[in-house]
Amino acid sequence: MPNINFYKLFENIDRILMILILLLITIGLITLASATQHATSLLANQIINITIGIILLLFLSKIDPKRFLFYAPHLYILSLILLLSVIFFGFESHGAKRWINFLFFNLQPSEIIKITIPMTLAWLYHRFQNNISYKTHAIAFIILAVPCVLIFNQPDLGTTILIFLAGAIIIFLAGLPLKFIFISGFSFLIALPYLWSTLHIYQQNRILSLFNTDRDPLGAGYHGIQSMIAIGSGGVFGKGWTYGTQTQLNFLPETTTDFIFSVYSEEFGFIGIIGIFIIYFLILYRCINMAKKMKNSFSRLITASLMFTLFSSTFVNIAMVSGLIPVVGAPLPFISYGGTSMVVSLIMIGIIMSLHSNKSLIAN
Amino acid sequence: MDLYKFKYTFEHRLNFIFGLLIFIFFILLVKFFYLQVIKFDNYSSLAKNNRIKMIAIPAIRGQILDRNGEILAANKLVYTLEVDPKNKGDVEKIKEQLSNIVEITKYDIKKYKKTLKENYYSSTLPIKTNLTNIQAVNFIVNQYKFPKIFLKQKFARTYPKGKSGAHFIGYINRINKIEIQKLKKTGKFESYLGLDHIGKTGIEKFYEDALHGYPGYKTIEVDANNNVIRTIETLEPQHGKDIVLNIDYKIQKVAEKSFGKYKGAMIAMDPNNGSVLAYVSQPSFDPNLFVNGIDEVNWRRLNDSVHRPLINRGVSGLYPPGSTLKPFVALAALENNIRQPPFSIKDKGFYNMPNQSKTFSDWKKGGHGEVDIIKAIAVSCDTFFYGLGIELGIPRLNTVLKRFGFGEKTNIDMPNEKSGLIASAQWKKINHKKKWYQGETAITAIGQGYTLTTPIQLALATAKLINQNYILHPKLLKKDTISMHINSYKENSRKNTNLKLVKDAMSLVTKEGGTAAFIGRNSSYNMSAKTGTAQVFGLKKDEVYDESKLPDKLKDHALFIAFAPTEEPKLVIAIVVENGGHGGSTAGPIAKKVFDAYLSGIK
Repeated sequence: MPNINFYKLFENIDRILMILILLLITIGLITLASATQHATSLLANQIINITIGIILLLFLSKIDPKRFLFYAPHLYILSLILLLSVIFFGFESHGAKRWINFLFFNLQPSEIIKITIPMTLAWLYHRFQNNISYKTHAIAFIILAVPCVLIFNQPDLGTTILIFLAGAIIIFLAGLPLKFIFISGFSFLIALPYLWSTLHIYQQNRILSLFNTDRDPLGAGYHGIQSMIAIGSGGVFGKGWTYGTQTQLNFLPETTTDFIFSVYSEEFGFIGIIGIFIIYFLILYRCINMAKKMKNSFSRLITASLMFTLFSSTFVNIAMVSGLIPVVGAPLPFISYGGTSMVVSLIMIGIIMSLHSNKSLIAN
Repeated sequence: MDLYKFKYTFEHRLNFIFGLLIFIFFILLVKFFYLQVIKFDNYSSLAKNNRIKMIAIPAIRGQILDRNGEILAANKLVYTLEVDPKNKGDVEKIKEQLSNIVEITKYDIKKYKKTLKENYYSSTLPIKTNLTNIQAVNFIVNQYKFPKIFLKQKFARTYPKGKSGAHFIGYINRINKIEIQKLKKTGKFESYLGLDHIGKTGIEKFYEDALHGYPGYKTIEVDANNNVIRTIETLEPQHGKDIVLNIDYKIQKVAEKSFGKYKGAMIAMDPNNGSVLAYVSQPSFDPNLFVNGIDEVNWRRLNDSVHRPLINRGVSGLYPPGSTLKPFVALAALENNIRQPPFSIKDKGFYNMPNQSKTFSDWKKGGHGEVDIIKAIAVSCDTFFYGLGIELGIPRLNTVLKRFGFGEKTNIDMPNEKSGLIASAQWKKINHKKKWYQGETAITAIGQGYTLTTPIQLALATAKLINQNYILHPKLLKKDTISMHINSYKENSRKNTNLKLVKDAMSLVTKEGGTAAFIGRNSSYNMSAKTGTAQVFGLKKDEVYDESKLPDKLKDHALFIAFAPTEEPKLVIAIVVENGGHGGSTAGPIAKKVFDAYLSGIK
């Protein structure tokens, strides 16, 4: 009996995707082991995070997509309540109010909304799939905009942009007319100066530091410079595991979280970069194919959006550590240390697997 | 919108997003290729600069010792509080923080700001020097409160003899901008990393290279918080060499004591090898004041004083030689076959210029009577030399003076030496745009006029009278191997007779009838000498020089050159006492005391 149950636990797991994700997680753990510099408790915590995440992944992969469809609006309301309660009950750290303290862990509602927004928008378009109009798109935009404004005010520019993109991608995939996209894009450019003035000074500085790293060598630009030194000095073959001087001598900041990819680049070099990029490409390719094979728009939109969320986070992080964009402070999915990021990313994969293996359950 | 179109649009746009993501992947890959492959060398060296630091290990400055090992300049261990000038910590704040441990005075802050302005490469700058042991311990106990203030143990230069010998020992002080430029030009800058001080005067300056040594380096690996992870390489410093001088501090002490409150200079030198045994320049100053930057009050006091204590009179003081020039003038006359004995004159106390109505008077009213060249030196007869000078002429005189080193540097191992002056018609034409008068030739022959000498020149010239060693140079640095040129008597015998004549005359100066006769009385050895009195200002015609009526600064300079024992000279002394009046009576006794001390010590 237990054997059968055990097998059944894995029946909805897509092996290829799972292996690729586990490969990424392993690379993350190896890099983290070097970045922590013998702080084994950090490594142990991360293993616990991974375990919790995988259990949730297995659990979610077994859930019938119908339930996602049914609960999507409720989950949206719930996550909005959580976001609002951050304003009242949340605690501040580094000048931003992003977390709520529960008894044994800190919850970051903006991470949860990364899942509920795609679900809600997919639910919306699935529900009105026979009659998608500007009105549908307008409602979708409002559903997206409300949490975005709340997160922006926390303030958390990085997450706001990621969540907005994740939602916008659904609206785009659901067929928002190109004409409208161009017009709104143009309007955005015009409104840019105003939006700039609403940014916090530290956010403005971070963005400015991108254009001129000498502006504030020990301030906003310093971390970016140290990160680029770490990456560049890694060379083709890297300095070797635990031999990255920038990492081990603490010149690199936040080695376990935001800048873990710099640690990887410093110690494994350009060869390592090619390796990990191949894994990323395979995951992307697999997810795209899975989305295409799905039989209903709800599944397809969620899968595409979650995949896009994961990859935009990945790109933002990698572009940030390599100096392509300002240091915005975004974790690298599956690799950065941190419970929320790891668990949420694995939940996303769990949902995709559920939608994939139960593709016939919701008929269009 | 129908479902088919929906799915079509979806797949179409998903492909677009797929392409977009691949494109972003490609951009990232290019960026990493750029950083890790193209710019590898650049970032690799930046990473290295981050973690590899070079720390200079300063060399310990050599000591300065006298010939008997008496310490004249040494290093003592002192505690200083230093701050990093880069973190621009508010000095007033630091002062307040430290108020329980040590008082930072206004003067300390002023000094700190001054060093801050002048300093270019020190990692930390002293805010308080010379902490007492109790203050140092108090600071160590409370160090945790002051992460940005450092207690440093340093060797500080100290001059145990204070004012004594200050001019030849010299002093060190913080390196200034001009010196940094100079060091960079000469390629020596590297050897000053980690060192703050440089010799500014005297031996400290002249033997700077040997004294300061060469710093070592420690290559270390540090982390971002500047914690030292490991030492990669250590290169030990080459400490500075001790400099042993010819100076005999016992003699130096006697000389300074004998000098008393007079201003002037005195050189005592071994005529056989040029060793300078005592070197006095008065008034003096305390070189300890300079070591960590002299404060303004003391600087003004020293620099603005009318007595000019900072002038190193031994090599930089220019004085008319007065009658001390006469032996050399006499020698020139003898060598040119004029005034050879038994030539003599009848001195009535004045000299009439040939073909002119102008007369020059002798220092002694009524004259010296029958005077030959020997008596002329012994009694310092001006009348004899006026005529001698006119007949000899400036060019022939200068040839001999040059041979004795007048008008050029002695090349003693001391900075700021002046070359003095022997004047000529040509010189006057260039510098004064005026014609040379015959009267000037007359007064030049008695050491007045334009001629200027330094005390060290007088000492060297006197030493050359003794053994004709024309390559002799005065030397402060003691060497184990001294090249003695005893075989220098290769001049023809005629010249030797001339020289002997002059020396015989000089030996009579301290005998009865000589200008320094009282010095020779009751002396256990024979001393040859020549007195001199140099006019500080010219008297108007018919004016009478009355020492007692003149203010000190207008009084004549007293000069005295001597060597003893006459038979086998072991010591030469040249002495100038500013405003000391007559050479024999003021300068002579000082020299006598030094001779006594030295010659009794030798026996």
